[in-house]
Amino acid sequence: MLRTTLKNLMAHKLRLGLTALAVVLGVGFVAGTFVLTDTMSRTFDDLFTDVTKGVDVYVRSESSFEAQIGGSRKPIPDDLVLRVRDVDGVAIASGSVDGYAQFVDQSGKAITPNGAPTLGVNWVPEPLTPLTLRDGDAPVGPDEVVVDAGTAGDNGFEVGDRITVLTQAGADEFTVSGVAGFGEADNLAGATLAAFDTETAQKLFDRKGRLASIEIAAEDGVATADLQTRIEEVLPQGVEASSGASVAREQAQSIQQGLGFFNTALLVFAGVALFVGAFIIYNTFSITVAQRMREFGLLRALGANGRQIMGSVLLEALLVGVTASLVGLGVGVAIAVLLQVLLATFGIELPSTTLQLLPRTIIVSLLVGTIVTVVSSVLPARKASRVTPMEALRDANPSDARWSVARTVTGALLTAAGVATLMFGLFGNSSQGLSLVGLGAFTTFIGISVLTPLFAAPLARVIGAPFKKVMHLPGKLAQQNAARNPRRTASTAAALMVGLALVGLVGIFAASLKASTNKIVDESLKADFMISNASIAAPPAISPKLGEEIARLGTVRSVAPLRQAQFRDDQKRSLFLSATDPSTFGDVADLEVTEGSIEALSEGGVLLFAPTAEDLDLAVGDDLEMRFAAAGARDIPVVGLYENKSMVNTDYLISLDTYDEVFTEPVDSAVLVTKSVDASPAEARAEIEKLTDEFPNVELRDQTEIKERSAADVDQLLGLVTALLGLALVIALLGITNTLALSVFERTRELGLLRAVGMARSQTKSMIRWESVIISLFGALLGIAVGIFFGWAFVAALNDQGITEFAIPFGQLIIYILFAGVAGIVAAIPPARRAARLNVLEAIATE
Amino acid sequence: MADDIQIIKEAAVTEAMQERSNATFASRAVAATKIYGSGETSVRALDSVTVSFPSGEFTAIMGPSGSGKSTLLHCLAGLDDLTSGQVFIGDVEVTALDEKGKTRLRRDQVGFIFQSYNLVPTLTAEENIRLPLDLARRDADEEWLAKIIDIVGLGDRLTHRPTELSGGQQQRVAAARAMASKPDIVFADEPTGNLDSRRGSEILEFMRTAVKDFGQTIVMVTHDPISASYSDRVVLLADGQIVDEIRQPTVERVLDKLKSLEG
Repeated sequence: MLRTTLKNLMAHKLRLGLTALAVVLGVGFVAGTFVLTDTMSRTFDDLFTDVTKGVDVYVRSESSFEAQIGGSRKPIPDDLVLRVRDVDGVAIASGSVDGYAQFVDQSGKAITPNGAPTLGVNWVPEPLTPLTLRDGDAPVGPDEVVVDAGTAGDNGFEVGDRITVLTQAGADEFTVSGVAGFGEADNLAGATLAAFDTETAQKLFDRKGRLASIEIAAEDGVATADLQTRIEEVLPQGVEASSGASVAREQAQSIQQGLGFFNTALLVFAGVALFVGAFIIYNTFSITVAQRMREFGLLRALGANGRQIMGSVLLEALLVGVTASLVGLGVGVAIAVLLQVLLATFGIELPSTTLQLLPRTIIVSLLVGTIVTVVSSVLPARKASRVTPMEALRDANPSDARWSVARTVTGALLTAAGVATLMFGLFGNSSQGLSLVGLGAFTTFIGISVLTPLFAAPLARVIGAPFKKVMHLPGKLAQQNAARNPRRTASTAAALMVGLALVGLVGIFAASLKASTNKIVDESLKADFMISNASIAAPPAISPKLGEEIARLGTVRSVAPLRQAQFRDDQKRSLFLSATDPSTFGDVADLEVTEGSIEALSEGGVLLFAPTAEDLDLAVGDDLEMRFAAAGARDIPVVGLYENKSMVNTDYLISLDTYDEVFTEPVDSAVLVTKSVDASPAEARAEIEKLTDEFPNVELRDQTEIKERSAADVDQLLGLVTALLGLALVIALLGITNTLALSVFERTRELGLLRAVGMARSQTKSMIRWESVIISLFGALLGIAVGIFFGWAFVAALNDQGITEFAIPFGQLIIYILFAGVAGIVAAIPPARRAARLNVLEAIATE
Repeated sequence: MADDIQIIKEAAVTEAMQERSNATFASRAVAATKIYGSGETSVRALDSVTVSFPSGEFTAIMGPSGSGKSTLLHCLAGLDDLTSGQVFIGDVEVTALDEKGKTRLRRDQVGFIFQSYNLVPTLTAEENIRLPLDLARRDADEEWLAKIIDIVGLGDRLTHRPTELSGGQQQRVAAARAMASKPDIVFADEPTGNLDSRRGSEILEFMRTAVKDFGQTIVMVTHDPISASYSDRVVLLADGQIVDEIRQPTVERVLDKLKSLEG
């Protein structure tokens, strides 16, 4: 049996080639994702190790937890350095501060690295510093700065040049005293870095008399653990010492978390590609099994039993799966590189070292590819096993356009179950919500695929009707060929359906998002202007001074800065809060406060989003336990409830004063401004712009521009997601080519007859082409319909997260459908050419 | 009444003949040679065959297996290429045509009846009959079509698909299709091979009627002496060459000739 299977495989290499390709692509995506994230992870690991290389012990405030936004540890007093220096075994100790520092290029534009921070530090002596001076000297005095080699090189800064740096304190000019690299690299993973002398840095980062940490290098021969213990003895309450290694681990961990999400997100897309690939495999094996029924019947007549036949088919699938997975692994490395490039074009630049191919990646890729292939072939294999010896003698002509009660029931049940799971995942309060949504979608797709053959024939005929009219006989034949085997048409189109449903869903979601944002701006935003980051990739970095200065303008009536930060509740869940000026916020936005008042925030306290208060069973007057990185746990009284959180985007709101008490980094993420009544918008704008021009990293927008910018951001994300789904679409197209090729093979005799009777080559190609287009359109229409349903469900589920409008981008969807048609034309090219080039005589003589 | 029918028939014949090319020979082969393979393993399927098929005649080509009769038919029809020599349909030199030209020739000037699998499964009987016309996007001569359908006896089966027709009915549809575009010549390759004697004779009757009453030219390859007896002339092939011919064949004479060929 094994030999027969192998011989079969070799004989039909081409036939299984396209199937294998589908698996290769899917596995490639999976492998590529792992290679990419493993490489990134390794890069960051290396990075943090390098940064902490020279430091044996760190002294810092204790922390309840590490948070990313506005959650750094409380600063320590700088006289601690003297105490630490005195400890036995300390070779050198230096304090360090850091903060926001952004360079401005010679044309006045702020230099914003994509996805990387703009670091400001104080110059720390060897061997503690990870930086290496390439040119010039360390900074001395209030006027000097050291620039990272990357920024210097990209923007043409040299030692001795003047350079403007933006910090919390404002924009100041400095002299470049030196240019530094990070070992061999020009910068730290793409970040820009400005280093000042310690006193200057303390002033610029608002840390007068304080330090973020003290870094200590041990004398030769001194054990780190011993030194750490000794240092701890001289530290006051609330300050601790940690080894360099543990700090490196700590910093790497938070990046790992982010990478984990990224990895999962990409794997979801890879999963979609594999899911689509599964359809192709199932389809191919179905068709080839049907074509080989006679052969199987013969084997049965010769004495093979059903189990051996099934085993043979499964074995074929196994071999294809393993081979394709291996190739896919190689392709995966190439895809990793491609993914990097793709992300870079959408503004997310990632550092990279040598590509990491871990054993886990190899094992997972092989397993996934093989399992998907084998599982997809189970049903066709079972069908093959049921063949009777009589099939060998009969003229094989599969006509299974039968209504099957079992099929209807199964399909309906699966679809219903899938939809129910999806809905529960979206609207229920389960913590596994996302997984349920995924599972629900998956099941729904399968259910629909099972049901589709039931109406595939009439629908294909309807879609094919215009072709019959316009393309005459080839069109008629195309229409009938598409309708003649409903199961095959359905399963071929199913792959495209999945791809287009997802693309449609994303498109609808994006359109709804844009429509909702517009609604928010129209209804909830009272401010005339908003000042926010010029680049969405940069973290919030607006100096509070800006808001203060704008408030002083005559043409301005109210100014409300907005800040965002993280905190934890009593269950250690990480949550977001916003902070603003309670006296002016009512002028710039509509919170729809239903109980208490926003003004009450000025006494301290917190405003809650009403549904969240309900969930937490809190009312005005109750206390909410909030835990802060720097300040520890506090009980904050609830002073009000609000219904409209679209402008703050968080469920918790506090005043700026309260913020300053519990967070260490006062940086605004946005400033909302209402102009005074008697000033024209142009006047107010001109005045405000004079101020914002001094902060090149911010942008001033009016309501129209806010909508435009938001739309542009959504479109960028939409583009990225659609591109990632692109692979699934390519696989779906391969499936159509595959099926057509197999059909052409199956219909060799019929094609021969048509050609003999006088069908021209061009007419033959035309026939195949339009059949392909009909199938593609079939899949596309079905997919868009499902996509609209999913889109509606998603938007409905996110109603209270701000997506209140359901918008269908009809133009976009029609373009997608047209693309599907064009894709059908492209997919048909190889099989059409094959059909046209058939040797007529050989074709007629085919059995 | 019978006179009326006779007049109509003659008028139809005249009309049919006038619409066809004026050549006296519907098909000709001149020194047709076909060699498969090369060198030591080459096979001469046709060895410098020269033969003509006059218009309005029913000719059968016979011979033992391997004689080259099917090859000759395929080459005459433009389905296969000669190694050397020429083939004509009417005045048109088939061997000088390119692929497109040959296809068009098959569509407009030639009719085919194969042994089996003549019909497109997704089309109805009527659509199958109209196939060459639809391919050419030409209007059918509806009167002519109606006549053929009537003679062939398929009037009540027109909307049926091939799977709903018996073998004999399928061949009748094929025969009707072959005549539908009023071709210069009809080539039939063992048209009765898969049929029982009764259905077979129905087809052969139809073919003879087409020749006698409508002036059609038919060239048929067969191994069956009974089928051959319907023809006006039998051409005998052996080893790629024409070795004999029989005019006004009877079953006995055909059998005798065949036996002498085998022996």
